[in-house]
This record gives sequence, structure tokens and C-alpha cells, in this order.
Amino acid sequence: MYCEQCGKRPASVIVKQTVNGNTIERHLCPVCAAENHNINYTFEQDPMAIHQLLSNWFPNQKASVNPVKKEMAVCPNCGFTFSKFMEIGKFGCATCYDAFEDHLDNIFKRLHNGNYRHEGKIPSAYGSTLKIKKEIEELRKQMQVSIAGEDFEEAAKLRDEVRALTLQLEGGGADGN
Amino acid sequence: MEIDRFLQPKASSWMETDSENADIAMSTRIRLARNLSDFKFPYSFSEDEALKVDKAISSVLIDQGRKLNLEFTHIDIQEILPLQREVLIEKHLISPYLVKESHSGAVLLSENEELSIMVNEEDHLRIQSLRAGFHLKEAYQVANDLDNLLEQHLSYAFHEKYGYLTSCPTNTGTGMRASVMLHLPALTMSQQIARIIPAISRLGMAVRGIYGEGSEALGNVYQISNQMTLGKSEYEILQDLESMTDQIIQQERRAREAILNNSPVALEDRVYRSLGTLANSRLLSTEEAATCLSNVRLGIDLKLIKDIDMSILNELMIFMQPAFLQQYSGSPLQPTERDIARAKLFRERLNKDSVTNKGEDFA
Repeated sequence: MYCEQCGKRPASVIVKQTVNGNTIERHLCPVCAAENHNINYTFEQDPMAIHQLLSNWFPNQKASVNPVKKEMAVCPNCGFTFSKFMEIGKFGCATCYDAFEDHLDNIFKRLHNGNYRHEGKIPSAYGSTLKIKKEIEELRKQMQVSIAGEDFEEAAKLRDEVRALTLQLEGGGADGN
Repeated sequence: MEIDRFLQPKASSWMETDSENADIAMSTRIRLARNLSDFKFPYSFSEDEALKVDKAISSVLIDQGRKLNLEFTHIDIQEILPLQREVLIEKHLISPYLVKESHSGAVLLSENEELSIMVNEEDHLRIQSLRAGFHLKEAYQVANDLDNLLEQHLSYAFHEKYGYLTSCPTNTGTGMRASVMLHLPALTMSQQIARIIPAISRLGMAVRGIYGEGSEALGNVYQISNQMTLGKSEYEILQDLESMTDQIIQQERRAREAILNNSPVALEDRVYRSLGTLANSRLLSTEEAATCLSNVRLGIDLKLIKDIDMSILNELMIFMQPAFLQQYSGSPLQPTERDIARAKLFRERLNKDSVTNKGEDFA
């Protein structure tokens, strides 16, 4: 089918316009459709087409990953499967992030120039818990360094600090997750 | 009806410009995407959940907004007329996507229209802060203050590793999209923009024409925005975007100078022909109006035109759009009728109020 407006290019976009309650459907080519920007919000095309990008990004995985296993990743909260996420490029709920976590680092790296960790703002409700966790992480690293350097006295001191913080976390960190 | 206030033919305060670089950087926008932890996201929730989300967010906003001296008006998207929705879209107060959704959605607008909070767009909550000119950090501050207030009363979906959880993986992390609207006629004329766009995209930012991707920017207006929301803090993202925008502004200034030096008469001719078209046409299409507006704006910036107030151009840019034209003619208009109404709007505005000396302020 050719574009209804120019009659030259093939029609690939359906534009719906409602005037006085009557919906008119027009088959247009992308060029003419773009000219009608007053009505272009009814495009039935996703301009970002993230799902297309996502599915094109993993050509090798498709072949190697067992398709049955892939189907198995289902979000227990909203019922989205991993394939549905890949298809529409959107999460169904917060639990999806946990359900699909195995694949997410790679996806985020593709979308965010190699990054997959949040480095920004933390809501205050999560802030204190997260701060303690980061501190523990840091102390553990220092502990490894001490052990490697055979400074066992320092390592024991660090271990006690980690213990104290862990206790604090278990006691007051219920709101953290 | 309360919504009428937001449909008036006057510029929102964020459309008025008088600060440094406001000649090129026309407006700034910060958007924060947030979801509530107790509800499924809009792609999978039920109508019942949609209503509960709207109620939860709206009541907190209306109650708590007063602490920041903000009075919000709640507008249910499904209750207003299609034309009114389009007017809100044309004013950038809501997104086209909010209108497309079939479930309950709403927008809460602050009186000065600098804050617009969309409920149940792609995410439960989209805080939008708008500013005239180039003010990324100020706009972020306003959005962030509201966000801080809301998080005390709403439980956000937040992940230790991935940050704020959003429907789209391109927003996960900070949930922040910062953007600046830029008028780049000289970089467009000299075709330098074609080289700038791909270079910027490699740095985790994007430049687009304001009307869709790929197609040439209508009226030489582009939008630059961050694409990365993970791996950098809000501050770093804003810093990077700010310095990139600064560089583009300097490039545009250099290109303007070059054109002014190399072909002053041709440029002046172009500017005044455009002014003539806007002030005298009987039929004016959106494309022609946008192109001419861009030329006249450039003429004012370069002080070739001194007797037209820039704020009139800013208003016309918004009001020349189809939904606005129809809202004020009181009936739907066919494309030709719109071109007639648009031409009339420009003639009236440019021949009546334009003869002031305010143009001097916009150096």
C-alpha cells in the first residue's frame, strides 16, 4: 500500500485522528507522518524501540541459552516472563528486577555505556542501611589486605568491627529491603 | 473548571527568558521517574491499582506540597476533552504517552506551571521541573526538594544495586532525564550539527530535533539530554550535560559570528523576509511559521531586529500549534483553516504589541 498523502512512498505508519468523535485512520509513509506532527502522538510505533535493540543485542545468547530454561524466568509478582520483558522492553513490577537479575547486568551495560550500578541518590529510608552495608564491604576489603600482609592483630580488630556493624544491621535494618 | 487556568493563551512562567545564554538555551527540564514499592508498574497493574496509586500520590502531593508553598491542581486525564489534552501536550505539561494510556492517569500542576507531576504515565510518578533558559541545577533542585518530601510519605521502589526501579531499563538508576532546549540556527545552516550529533551520542547524551527523531528539527530547535542513568550520580550527570551544552552554545555563537561576518546582507535579507512573511501572510503552515520564527529570533539575537519583544516570539511558538489554534477558535479546524488562523494570529500579535524597546534586553 502506498502513502495516502504523497502516494509515492510505501505506507508504514497508521495515524489515527479523532475529530468530533469520529476516528479517521490514515496510512502514511514515515515522511508524511512526521509532517503531521500535530497528530503524531497516536503513532503505533515505539520511537525508541528498545525491545528491538534488546533482542538484536543478544544474537549469540539466543543460540546458546536453552530456550526452556529462558522461559522459566517468571516474575512471581506480576507474571512477566523474561521473554516478555525482552519483547516489550519494559519491566512489569519491582520484583521483575530480582526475577531477571541474572541477565540484567549485561542489559544495563549495553544501555548505559558499560554501567550497571546506581551511583546516585538514595532515599533516606534506605540510606542508613545501605551506608552500613557499604562500610562492612569496605572493612572486609581492608581485612583481606591485613591478612595478606599477615597483620593478624589488625585483621581481628577489623573482624570485630564488621561483627558489630552486622549486628546493628540485623537489629535495625528491617526496612532496608 | 479548574483546568481552564492552564489552557489560557499566555506564556507559562518558564517560557519567559531573560537570563544569560537564554537566547540559545531556551528552556531546561528535569524529569524524575519513581514507582511505589507496593504496586505493580503501569505495564502490568489493574485499573483498581491505577486508581489507588493516583489517590495515594495525589493526596500526599496536595497535602505536603503546601510545605514547599506549592498549590497543586489535580487534573484527571480521562475527564478532560481530547483537545484540552492536546493543549497540555503542546505546552509540554504532559507527555503524549500519558494520553495514550487506557488506565487512570492524572497530572498535578503547580500554579506557576514550573512543576508538573504525571501519575501513571510509564511509571507511577514522573516529577517534571521546567525552567526558562539554561538552569539545570536550579531545575533539579526544585524536583529534588519535592522528591525528598514525597519519599517521607510514599515508599519508593528502590534497589540497592540498581537504584530507583522504573518500567523502562533506560531510566533505571537515577530515574533522571535532564534536557535543554537549544535554538541552533547557525549550526544547522552551516551543517555542523550533523557532525555534532553523532559525537555527543558516544558520550552518553543525545541531541534530537524537538519534533521526533531523524527528521530535521522544526524551527532549528533541538533537545540535548542525558541517556545514562546508571553509573553516575545526578550531580555528575548534570555536570556533564552542562559542560556539553556550554560547548554547543559557544559553537553556535562562533557559527553566528562567522555567518554575520561573511554574508551580512544575505543574513539580514533572510531575517527580514521571514519577518515580512510572519507579519503579512494569509496562509501560514506550521513548518513555514517555525522556520520564519527561527530566522526572526536569530535576527533579534544578533540585533538586526530591535523593535520586537522576544517574549512575543516565545508565546507564538507555543500558540501557533494546532490544538491551541483550535482551542481559541472554539471549533475543530481543517488544516487549511488552521493555516488561516495561524496567519491571523501572527499578524495580530506582530503588528499590535511588537513595537516596544524590550528587544534590546535580549543580547
